[in-house]
Amino acid sequence: MKRYYIALISLLLLVMQGMAMSLLPSKLVYSNLLMTPHWVLLFLLIVAIFFDRDKTYFAVWYGMAFGLLLDIVYTGILGVYMVTYALVIYVIHGINKTIHSNFIGASLLVILGIILSDTLLYVIYSFVQITSMPWSTYLILRLLPTVAANMIFFIILYPVVKDRVTQWSEVVNNA
Amino acid sequence: MPSLFRRKRLMAVLIGFIVLVALIGFSIRDRDTLTTPEKFFKDTVGWMQSIIHKPISLVDNSVDNIQNMFEVYEQNQVLKARLSEYKGVIKDNQRLKDDNTELRKTIGKTKSLSDYSPIQATVIARSSDRWFEQMTINRGEEHGVAKDMAVLTSEGMIGKIKSAGAFHSTVQLLSGFDRSNKISSWVVREDKNEAFGLIEGYDGESGRLLLKGIKLDEELKKGDTVISSGLGGVFPSDLRIGTVEEVVNDQFGLTKTAYVKPFADLFNVNHVIVVDRSMQTVDNEDQKEDGDS
Repeated sequence: MKRYYIALISLLLLVMQGMAMSLLPSKLVYSNLLMTPHWVLLFLLIVAIFFDRDKTYFAVWYGMAFGLLLDIVYTGILGVYMVTYALVIYVIHGINKTIHSNFIGASLLVILGIILSDTLLYVIYSFVQITSMPWSTYLILRLLPTVAANMIFFIILYPVVKDRVTQWSEVVNNA
Repeated sequence: MPSLFRRKRLMAVLIGFIVLVALIGFSIRDRDTLTTPEKFFKDTVGWMQSIIHKPISLVDNSVDNIQNMFEVYEQNQVLKARLSEYKGVIKDNQRLKDDNTELRKTIGKTKSLSDYSPIQATVIARSSDRWFEQMTINRGEEHGVAKDMAVLTSEGMIGKIKSAGAFHSTVQLLSGFDRSNKISSWVVREDKNEAFGLIEGYDGESGRLLLKGIKLDEELKKGDTVISSGLGGVFPSDLRIGTVEEVVNDQFGLTKTAYVKPFADLFNVNHVIVVDRSMQTVDNEDQKEDGDS
């Protein structure tokens, strides 16, 4: 049952992600800095860190499913977000075993996750010629603002969901 | 068994890569319609967005209204000054319109390229990835929206329909236009004939459209209005696009390129009009495919 809550929250974040772009003040969202919200990824990373045990990979499967949904709804080019999110969550899940699960550790992992996924997206999209931005411009105009904007959201999201997710994890794994 | 485990991981990566390439290849080509699952998910997410959009937009609008209230006095002064001008223009316009319809009747050609039936729509979301200049609107095939229709705001053209779901569709904004979506357009000048050109892309740095293929001997002024010509076969004519800001010779020196500032604000868009051209549209792609097969 608790697993469906995770799916529901991810779906809600996915829906809000696109609405945020049209409802937030346009001066903030549409400056020269290309901020991209990765809210679904943020939440699934928290799930990977606090919900999944060493042998369970729920977050990776969710990453795949909601990545595909993101592709369908927001970009129209299938598979890119799906593979990126699944891979990044898998890598973070692997690193998580060696790091303490507290706020500092989690934020480091999330920053790494965002950098990895956004760079991977950039690489794939430049291969299929959706973007032709040079690396240096990408780093300054897109990667840094994206990481900053998403960390603000992470700081808001973390206290709201962390305890709940940990609690669900205990319920699911002890049952 | 570490070796088996490692092999499993390798397999997963390989399969993932193959799936990625296959899916990209499938979806990046110019498709006429979306597959049914895509439409289904698009509409599902769209409905959720519409539901959440209602209360938020209420708050958003009232904040806007309050902000507007402070500017009302100044606006009123300017508008009063303009009002008398407009009265004359409206009368002229009315007379010309009547004239036009009468003349059209006499030659038995009642439909014109500029006729269209509008479909009102509300923007409910935008692509979260800024490399995709797309937005979702709450009208789809059921309301008569189809691929490649032009999309306007009250100020001017903002894009075209990229794909239509059953109840929601995706709009490709002008800022996401490239070589594959051209708009055939006219530059309207005082005392002279219209100059022809093609909108072929967008300069992201300055936020201006590129109007290419203008003949070298055409003289363009800054501030000339660019409208769609309707000759591309998809959009109706006389849709307002933008004003000319700068004219340069192209890299080979054979034609001129004009930088066009769009009339419409492409970022702060709430309500749009989807334009269904009354005149029969030319289906280029179908003919090409038929010819190939």
